[in-house]
Amino acid sequence: LKTRISPPSGFGNPWLQLALSVIFVLVSELLLKRGASQTADLTNSWSWTGIGGLASPLVWLAIIFVILSFLSWLYVLKYIPLSIAFPLSRVVDALVPLCSWIFLGEMISTRRWCGIALVIIGLAVVARPVARMEERL
Amino acid sequence: VSWFSLTLIMTSLITFVAGQLLLKKGMDLTNDGSPEGFRGRFLFLLVSGILAMTISFFLTLGLLQRFDLSYLYPFQGLSVILIAITAAVALREKLTLQLAIGALLISAGIVLVSLS
Repeated sequence: LKTRISPPSGFGNPWLQLALSVIFVLVSELLLKRGASQTADLTNSWSWTGIGGLASPLVWLAIIFVILSFLSWLYVLKYIPLSIAFPLSRVVDALVPLCSWIFLGEMISTRRWCGIALVIIGLAVVARPVARMEERL
Repeated sequence: VSWFSLTLIMTSLITFVAGQLLLKKGMDLTNDGSPEGFRGRFLFLLVSGILAMTISFFLTLGLLQRFDLSYLYPFQGLSVILIAITAAVALREKLTLQLAIGALLISAGIVLVSLS
């Protein structure tokens, strides 16, 4: 049986790094969509590889955020089981529409509100045993 | 939506899940101290994990140029369930009932968010 390594506190806290990783993903997703749309050229036979997206500076900026989120994600994986860390990281799926609503004034339909609520409930269900586990440490 | 597009979507999903499993296995090694052959195995897992993620990244970029994000997103919802199951099988992580229910709720929520 593996011994559980107690994670460092402060900036090295894996839960803080999980939050950072999520924020970096959030920013990169928005940049990627904008960059990819700007450079879309479906007449090119290589367009399915997505390589044409590299013509956009926004895509390169997004790649930097992808790398940052990747580094904190690797750190998260060192300490947190994948089957817990990954579902929690999908909080980004509730954050993207929420940010669009708050900052961009986009409308959110009833169905979408229900989806956001489901994601948050699911996160709470996954996070509860984790919170208890951390308390015992 | 053609079979070709659907194949691309599934490939991007499978390479993503495989990449996550490889990276997790690699990072788990760093907790085991430094057993014999650690460097080689660690580098192999990390590089193949990054390779799988890179393939998934470019496939997704290509798909984003063809389809709306709202069409592609429900497929990403599947990744939560897939990872919870494959982590239990391949990495022997504990898949509790609570975790399975939570993963299902998150996946269903992602699908609902992107349908509207």
